[in-house]
Amino acid sequence: MGYGRSDSYRVATTQDKDDRSPKKKKGAKDMDDLKKEVPITEHKMSIEEVCRKYQTDIVQGLTNAKAAEYLIRDGPNALTPPPTTPEWVKFCRQLFGGFSVLLWTGAILCFLAYAIQAATEDDPAGDNLYLGIVLTAVVVITGCFSYFQEAKSSKIMESFKNMVPQQALVIREGEKVQINAEEVVGGDLVEVKGGDRIPADIRVVSAHGCKVDNSSLTGESEPQSRSPDCTHDNPLETRNIAFFSTNCVEGTARGIVICTGDNTVMGRIATLTSGLETGKTPIAKEIEHFIHIITGVAVFLGLTFFILAIVLGYSWLEAVIFLIGIIVANVPEGLLATVTVCLTLTAKRMAKKNCLVKNLEAVETLGSTSTICSDKTGTLTQNRMTVAHMWFDNQIHEADTTEDQSGASFDKSSITWISLARVAALCNRAQFKAGQDQLPILKRDVAGDASESALLKCIELSCGSVRAMRDRNKKVAEIPFNSTNKYQLSVHETEDLNDNRYLLVMKGAPERVLECCSTILVQGKEQPLDEELKEAFQNAYMELGGLGERVLGFCHVLLPEDQYPKGFAFDTDDVNFQTKDLCFVGLMSMIDPPRAAVPDAVGKCRSAGIKVIMVTGDHPITAKAIAKGVGIISEGNETVEDIAARLNIPVSQVNPRDAKACVCHGTDLKDLSQDQMDDILRNHTEIVFARTSPQQKLIIVEGCQRLGAIVAVTGDGVNDSPALKKADIGVAMGISGSDVSKQAADMILLDDNFASIVTGVEEGRLIFDNLKKSIAYTLTSNIPEITPFLLFIIVNIPLPLGTITILCIDLGTDMVPAISLAYEAAESDIMKRQPRNPFRDKLVNERLISIAYGQIVTAGFALGGFFAYFVILAENGFLPTTLVGIRLNWDDRSCNDLEDTYGQQWTYEQRKIVEFTCHTAFFVSIVVVQWADVIICKTRRNSVFQQGMRNKILIFGLFEETALAAFLSYCPVTHVSHGNLWWFCAFPYSFLIFVYDEVRKLLIRRNPGGWVERETYY
Amino acid sequence: MSKDGEKSGWKEYIWNPRTREFMGRTASSWGLILLFYVVFYIFLAGLFALTMYVMLQTLDDYKPTWQDRLATPGMVIRPKSDETYEIVYDTRNTETWDLYAQALDKFLTPYNNSLQTEKNKECTPDEYFLQEDTGDVKNNPKRSCQFNRTILEACSGINDRYYGYQIGQPCIIIKLNRVIGMLPGKDGQAPFVTCAAKREDTDKIGEMVYFPPNGIFNLMYYPYYGKKAQVNYSQPLVAVKFLNITTNEDVNIECRINATNIPIGSERDKFAGRVSFKLRINTK
Repeated sequence: MGYGRSDSYRVATTQDKDDRSPKKKKGAKDMDDLKKEVPITEHKMSIEEVCRKYQTDIVQGLTNAKAAEYLIRDGPNALTPPPTTPEWVKFCRQLFGGFSVLLWTGAILCFLAYAIQAATEDDPAGDNLYLGIVLTAVVVITGCFSYFQEAKSSKIMESFKNMVPQQALVIREGEKVQINAEEVVGGDLVEVKGGDRIPADIRVVSAHGCKVDNSSLTGESEPQSRSPDCTHDNPLETRNIAFFSTNCVEGTARGIVICTGDNTVMGRIATLTSGLETGKTPIAKEIEHFIHIITGVAVFLGLTFFILAIVLGYSWLEAVIFLIGIIVANVPEGLLATVTVCLTLTAKRMAKKNCLVKNLEAVETLGSTSTICSDKTGTLTQNRMTVAHMWFDNQIHEADTTEDQSGASFDKSSITWISLARVAALCNRAQFKAGQDQLPILKRDVAGDASESALLKCIELSCGSVRAMRDRNKKVAEIPFNSTNKYQLSVHETEDLNDNRYLLVMKGAPERVLECCSTILVQGKEQPLDEELKEAFQNAYMELGGLGERVLGFCHVLLPEDQYPKGFAFDTDDVNFQTKDLCFVGLMSMIDPPRAAVPDAVGKCRSAGIKVIMVTGDHPITAKAIAKGVGIISEGNETVEDIAARLNIPVSQVNPRDAKACVCHGTDLKDLSQDQMDDILRNHTEIVFARTSPQQKLIIVEGCQRLGAIVAVTGDGVNDSPALKKADIGVAMGISGSDVSKQAADMILLDDNFASIVTGVEEGRLIFDNLKKSIAYTLTSNIPEITPFLLFIIVNIPLPLGTITILCIDLGTDMVPAISLAYEAAESDIMKRQPRNPFRDKLVNERLISIAYGQIVTAGFALGGFFAYFVILAENGFLPTTLVGIRLNWDDRSCNDLEDTYGQQWTYEQRKIVEFTCHTAFFVSIVVVQWADVIICKTRRNSVFQQGMRNKILIFGLFEETALAAFLSYCPVTHVSHGNLWWFCAFPYSFLIFVYDEVRKLLIRRNPGGWVERETYY
Repeated sequence: MSKDGEKSGWKEYIWNPRTREFMGRTASSWGLILLFYVVFYIFLAGLFALTMYVMLQTLDDYKPTWQDRLATPGMVIRPKSDETYEIVYDTRNTETWDLYAQALDKFLTPYNNSLQTEKNKECTPDEYFLQEDTGDVKNNPKRSCQFNRTILEACSGINDRYYGYQIGQPCIIIKLNRVIGMLPGKDGQAPFVTCAAKREDTDKIGEMVYFPPNGIFNLMYYPYYGKKAQVNYSQPLVAVKFLNITTNEDVNIECRINATNIPIGSERDKFAGRVSFKLRINTK
């Protein structure tokens, strides 16, 4: 179950972004330790030393007793799952996180106020109780909603993981035994073969053509060979160590286990990942800022009127009730739900465009992103070797590298090409796996190494079935590739049945292949290989190599029949045939080509002011070539090295400021101080980091964040996961991504396409703008709900707007229009502007408050509502002059002969019905003014006439709001008095605010940067 | 991130000597924004005043636009204790009932015969006292009919200063709320008040006497033309005297108006066309 267990840690890495508990100092030190490079030294020791260190034997392996002892000492060979967050904790986090705090406080204050009233009055008004209950209900319902929303995402996550238990073949007491990988201990002698997963970190002691795929660890796409020799000081680069959880692709190897479980390189990365603390998401910070503002306004208003109430002679208790009432009235009840729904809608929309968002708040983060650190392999590139160029007939030909073969093709009629294709097809051990005939060639699975697969597909595409060709040219002998020869050759029968000659084909490192040749095929004719052609070869080789491509040379020869008659026994061990004086055919070069959509996406990011940095484990040359190919290093921009080469001066003499682009090597990065690092990030606009270790990726992300950037990281490998987690938003690849990276990420690109990020950025920016609008809209109805209460206290008029009606507005009529603003189209091209500055560009700023509270509100709502209120009362006989100061008698149940302005007398119930009519009128007025308000909030800069009314949801919202208002005013339960006049009272005010705001926006557009913009553009 | 840093940040925010900014704004910036708001609010206030003025112009000075809430006029009793409709006193304790007597005295003062004859006209009883306007010509001021205190006889407080409270025969005065233009009763039949005990108290209520006889509101007091046109209107009253009500027990009494054209008020409103109160006279 070893690897089964190790999978469970991945599930548990579901990132809890708000893990903010201050870590102990020791913990911090551990983390720093983990960020350092791997401390493995075994690769430099001799095998005997290693054996001694682990008290093991190179032939017999560990004794069972020793193994058991080590198992107890070191624990099982599995990654410790980090502490999981129980479901109820996640649920509570949804219930009490962020915005909910505000509502909880409001609810508690309501209950407190009700308790005070209940204790002091005989017949307390239930308003505060209802309000408290409603607030609680809103928080709980919204909490459940977002909890389930996120649970749904994590369920999709769970479907990704596989839980296959792993076995390992170990040699103990001289016997081969198959055991659970979990039971492998340090010092065990293990054997791995092609297709196995390496059970632990292993020091190789013997290997036969062993190749491992380290891509999940280093990002290198091609398999690395493994042998017992130490080839590099860096344990990650040396050949004699194979790493836990990487795959053995082919061959066999035997090795001594040197690290198990959490101590393995992979384990360290996993621990580093799960131990990383991440900051709050930008939107969480914005909401916090918003809460501060709202709380400030609420407390300020509350205290002001508390003091006023005391001065006006109210009792302490009454004043406290007022204080609470005002503070609570400031809480926008509907906003939490609105924000949640808006984010959910966007998340859904993004999911449709292949961006799966794990954390709702991350929806917006991508919009704020100012730097994207992208992994190369699999994200920017297709993650498969493809033949990109060929050199034959003394000319470089370009092959089609696009995913769908839509690119240009080259001249395939040349005889040289046919020869080249034949060599590439025959001198090739790769073959298609069975049963894939219906699939397009590029999608088929291939058994064999990456370059050979590339050749196979290339030939299959241009010349038809390779298998048929191989059948026609039966293989007689073969020398496989090895690192000393650096070539591979095979001997075949020819197609022509009458021709009894053998065809010898060879491919390998170009310079080695060329050495074996004396002639070269040009336009189908063999020509002697003279200096001129050799130079042409050199140039082509350099050029293709400079493109970061892996170049292979091909040659062939028809063996003379007299020396090698039919049936000649070719001996491949002791070569008894001609390997000199061959005929050079051509070069083919391969690269993992960029995805078709990437250059466009990078360009869009750039025009959106987002810096794209490539961070890869691959080699600098390849990285740079791809970077140039996708536009991360744009045309015409040079690195320091390029300038040096152009001016023919040493690198040290070039002013680094002259170079906009920069390719930075991982080994250099290791020696950089923090300041130097910042310097690089600040002074170069186009940066490529190559040969980076997972720890360095993390350091790069931290560096960017230190400079104030909001960083998105894309990646697919385990090596990316620390950076993914540390990033403000980690984006993992859905298809090729490893489970660990998916768990560490906040967002998953289901189609692995970097271009989807651009969609994400666009949606993120849009939702930020639209949330501003939603909030502006919701807040504008907030203050008019307080003013009636304030006037009720100060001038003693009957209450113009009751608590129930306020709730009807906040949770009823306002909801759909507020949410509909999330569907609003962008006002201008949001991908053409700079990313928002998290320090200056806030979700809610004082200008929004100023315009919402100070201007729209007073102009439209308060006045419109009060006008309706006064009209209703006046028409029933209470003129405004009579109303002032009437409150005490008005609310006195025993006063049943209250005199109005005309001398008529009213019972309590009679006037309460009128009061309720007033509430309804006020409510309807607010709805009428909200019509104008939602149209105002549609745009922040444009006129509504420019923007249009294409938002169908908004139009639906307008109707829904009106219908709901009509229902609430006319349903039989609510006794309202006669007349429909109140529907029209607010019309002039509604029109007024509309005109006012259009003028304001006009001024903003006319005078960019002018006073109006500075004071009112939110 | 020390606290000092935060503190100085706050200080800087309130007054930044470098940029001469108070709470993030310079003096001129503050001035401009304040000026804007002053002008803006003055404009709004003006606009509001204008719409209010227009609205008030549409109103009639003498009659409100809507009266449908007052279809069933309210009824109230006097004396009224503070918050409740309960009259509870002890005959042996003067203080407990003297308050009621004083309240009634005060309430009835405007009905003194001298005042009534001075201000009001003697009208023809049993018919409406109509003083209609002829077209646009207002027939103002309108006169009102006398309601002399003596009409209440034993409950007028003239012969019995304490309205019978001291001997356990208290007077309760009932009035019907004023409603402009209301013409209660029908076919010359005046509306009248009847009082009865609530179900379980039926045998406790004893005999009652109404003043004026039969507890009628004479038709001549209607219609009411409003405070402005009919300045000295005297609201008609009905007094009920309880002659031998059971003492030392709560007696719940409900009085209601009887008029064919006054609809029975809603169940919710306990004071529309009826009035309930509790009477308890302690003697031991």
